[in-house]
Amino acid sequence: MTTASPAAAKTKRQPSIFSRRFRRSTPGKVGAIIVAIFVLLAILAPILKPYDASSDRNYRLNLKPPSIAALWDKEVAEEYRDPVTGQVNPWSHPFGTDNLGRDVLTRVWHGTAISLKVGVVSTILALVIGTLVGVLAGYFGGWFDSITGYLSDVMLAFPSILLAIGFASIFSSDNPPLLISAINKLFVLGSPQLVTAMLAVSLVQIPVYMRLSRAVVLGLREREFVQASGALGATQIRTVFKHVLPNSLSPLIVQGALSIATATIEVAALGFLGIGAQPPLPEWGTMISDSRQYYVDSPWTMIFPGLAIFLTVLGFNLLGDGLRDVLDPRSTQ
Amino acid sequence: MGSYLIRRILRTLLVMIGISLLVFVFVRSIPGDPATAMLGERATPQAVKNLRTQLGLDKPWFFNPANPLDAQYPKYVAALAKGDLGSGIKSNIPVRDELGSRFPATAELSLAALFFALVIGLPAGILAALRRNSVWDNLATTISLVGVSMPVFWLGLLLSYFFAVKLGWLPPSARLGNESTLEPLTGFYVLDGLLRGKPAEAWDALRHLILPAIALGSIPLAIIARITRSSLLDVLGQDYVRTARAKGLSQRTITLKHALRNALLPVVTVIGLQAGALLGGAVLTETIFSWPGIGSWVYEAISQRDYPIIQGGVIFAALVVSVTNLLVDLSYASLDPRIQYR
Repeated sequence: MTTASPAAAKTKRQPSIFSRRFRRSTPGKVGAIIVAIFVLLAILAPILKPYDASSDRNYRLNLKPPSIAALWDKEVAEEYRDPVTGQVNPWSHPFGTDNLGRDVLTRVWHGTAISLKVGVVSTILALVIGTLVGVLAGYFGGWFDSITGYLSDVMLAFPSILLAIGFASIFSSDNPPLLISAINKLFVLGSPQLVTAMLAVSLVQIPVYMRLSRAVVLGLREREFVQASGALGATQIRTVFKHVLPNSLSPLIVQGALSIATATIEVAALGFLGIGAQPPLPEWGTMISDSRQYYVDSPWTMIFPGLAIFLTVLGFNLLGDGLRDVLDPRSTQ
Repeated sequence: MGSYLIRRILRTLLVMIGISLLVFVFVRSIPGDPATAMLGERATPQAVKNLRTQLGLDKPWFFNPANPLDAQYPKYVAALAKGDLGSGIKSNIPVRDELGSRFPATAELSLAALFFALVIGLPAGILAALRRNSVWDNLATTISLVGVSMPVFWLGLLLSYFFAVKLGWLPPSARLGNESTLEPLTGFYVLDGLLRGKPAEAWDALRHLILPAIALGSIPLAIIARITRSSLLDVLGQDYVRTARAKGLSQRTITLKHALRNALLPVVTVIGLQAGALLGGAVLTETIFSWPGIGSWVYEAISQRDYPIIQGGVIFAALVVSVTNLLVDLSYASLDPRIQYR
């Protein structure tokens, strides 16, 4: 135990600077709280309210307004009055029901895990691939830099959603390639089309990380400590991964949080266009797409899934702003 | 300037070749045979084979050892250079003609969205920078945060629900009312109404334009407000602004004559970059508001797996983005004489 204490003291100092700065950043705090709530909701969903997307339906109760409105709206109270006991339970379907009589709250709640998984996984994939390529291109330069720079120029010329559409429409066949079904199994997403959409969104983000990490590495490459590492006999690979990469992580982490926000919106947009998650999966974009036929009379089928997307994205955007305040203070005004 | 111009244009051309290559490989990687898709599942093998020959699908992709130019990619690029994008599988109308007739609708919508974004975003950003940490600053920051976090398709549905369905102030879809007799001239219906001397028709077209333009303009608005604020704050902290203040110039003169001009350079860049975001957002916005532009057309093509249309739409969008980026780069010199092209 005695040998462990100095090491513990050393690791303690690092997070304390981070958390002190982070606590001063209001957007960061609000964002962290929103994200934490959604993560908690996603974890608790299968425990508190088990859900089977395919069997859950009740045609007797289709397109009913939010039951919570029964508290102040007599008409809604009548709709939810139990014919036997005459009692009204305002919490039976707080967000209303959709065209198949499914509880919108339960579906939105269970959509949380899907959206978080998809947003985080697609961002991590793009971050790892893009950063690796960008760091190597920035550090070594030469033909590798020229080719990857040209590739990112070409990819950035496509409006990202169109590139994602193109990619998703290639692989959205009935027999998904092995890789896609493997990812589908690994993250328990339950829809190969959703995996395709996720990979498409990830692919579109890769050039962003290539450019960002390349720019950071170009600035670092000529710094003394990097030169010193070379002078002390470190191999180039060691220099890149031990000295250059750890020092270029801050802007990448900030961009990562903002990317999760973008990825969440784009995957939902693909779902809305019908090339992401497929019904009956309770994915938010797909739910809004379904609601297009009913929202004129039953707006709650569209309002609540959209609100969930908005709040998740807002949370990650705020978190990204907060992280920027902490990790990269010079770039904020 | 001359050599820079040539290099910059060459780079754009190179990127366009890359785009054509990427789209070529994409379309050919789509599962299923186009000839079978065109003839239907019950076509005879002979008919499919004949159509494949007719379409040139039996040729190698990139290189034919017997005759280097007799391969799919060279022929495809040659057709592209002539503006030939093939025809839709279902409609059999040339993609180029349909693009041409639908482009004005998308252009009108995008310009209206950009106009909306500028009219709100620029003043909001300027006000936020001038009154830093005030209520206005917080308001502008909140607006821009909400703008980037709002899914365009959800905002579109919300707008259409509240302003069209609930309040009935504005029409929920299409470009003109049912009983409209407007004959297109330029394809920009608001302008056409005025040119034809029918202000009532122009007003009708404008009323149809408002909701989709707000939905599509929300993200550019947020980004423009944010960049204007940070860029103006940056400029206001520079020495020459302090000198101007020391000379006794009014804040108004300093802002309008000295600071704003320099602060707008990053804003112009960002506006240029919005071309892609607007075209991408148009797919969603046009779908929601049944706007007969390129976006809703590509959306329909996706659901019907009509690949020549998807291919044409994507290539066209990438082309517009590349050309806009080129124009933005070239416009720097007139905005900022310090920039020298070498």
